[in-house]
Amino acid sequence: MPAPEPEDLRALGEKIDEARGADSRPPPQGALGVAFRFGTELMVGLGVGAGIGWLLDRWLHTTFLIVVMTILGAAAGILNVMRAAKELNAEAAKYPAPAVKNDDDEE
Amino acid sequence: MAINPMAQFEVKTLLPLHIGGYDVSFTNQSLWMFIIVGAGSLFLYIAATGRSLVPSRMQSIAELSYEFVADMIHSAAGEDGLRFFPFIFTIFVFVLLSNFFGLIPGSFTVTSQIAVTFALAAVVILMVILTGFLTHGIGFLKLFVPKAPIYLLVLLVPIEIVSFLTRPISLSVRLFANMLAGHTMLKVFAFFVIALGATLASPKPWFAPLSIAPLFLIVAITALEILVAFLQAYVFAILTCIYLNEALQLHEHH
Repeated sequence: MPAPEPEDLRALGEKIDEARGADSRPPPQGALGVAFRFGTELMVGLGVGAGIGWLLDRWLHTTFLIVVMTILGAAAGILNVMRAAKELNAEAAKYPAPAVKNDDDEE
Repeated sequence: MAINPMAQFEVKTLLPLHIGGYDVSFTNQSLWMFIIVGAGSLFLYIAATGRSLVPSRMQSIAELSYEFVADMIHSAAGEDGLRFFPFIFTIFVFVLLSNFFGLIPGSFTVTSQIAVTFALAAVVILMVILTGFLTHGIGFLKLFVPKAPIYLLVLLVPIEIVSFLTRPISLSVRLFANMLAGHTMLKVFAFFVIALGATLASPKPWFAPLSIAPLFLIVAITALEILVAFLQAYVFAILTCIYLNEALQLHEHH
């Protein structure tokens, strides 16, 4: 096979880049995936908080830390969900969806 | 025929081995991990030996996966993150191949075991902690101190610490739960096909043709599972990038 001309290669490279274009983005995470992700964040936050509280209680021979840590864990879970949502928003903003014209939009 | 849809996740000992009182037997799980690591290494080795200007198909796949991961790290962790390319690429390829090999009928899905996914997540988090302390010294602990009035910090610092501690858990649970759920669903619907088909020999044989419906569902779910297999590997890798980036930059994430 004869070596292709560099010019041909460059043209081919440009063509490939063009064809790939905006489509080199990662696959969209479907609504189910997003829901699943937020769900795990919340549950894991609660679980980890309760777990830490339980261990601390056993270690320090107290009884109230599990309550405090469960609440903190729930808060951490919500914080995680907020951060995940922020990440997803930032990612969505990078690849703007094609504008959809809404005829009813009077405001 | 295993009727129990969870039987596919059973770890079976292939080669009993006990060292110092610990059970380190060679199991079907170890076997599949060897297969995955071997297949991944062999593929990339063969793909990289050609090194022609016009890539062959295999070389194209290797180049595309390289570019894909490099782009991902670049967008999530910037230039600094590219130092971690070998680490993230290895994790991505391992998780991706585990998920894909698990879809082969009769194989074993190593990422459906929390032990495997948690070990991966633990390595990632240890890497994050190590990177943080090596880059910022004790200042890495500022990660747990958000910008807020001092009286709120009493509440916010513990929340931040718990939030950090949930990371390895949520990272591992997400991957393991997705794999477990998908494969269980496939087995359950496969059982429906057999159960409906078996009515052919029963006094009510008119139920048998209905078995085609769950069969179509299995085809659809398999397609979905291929997407999930890729997506979960991607999510695992990009979260690794994001966590590493936080350790590198000590971002204000508020």
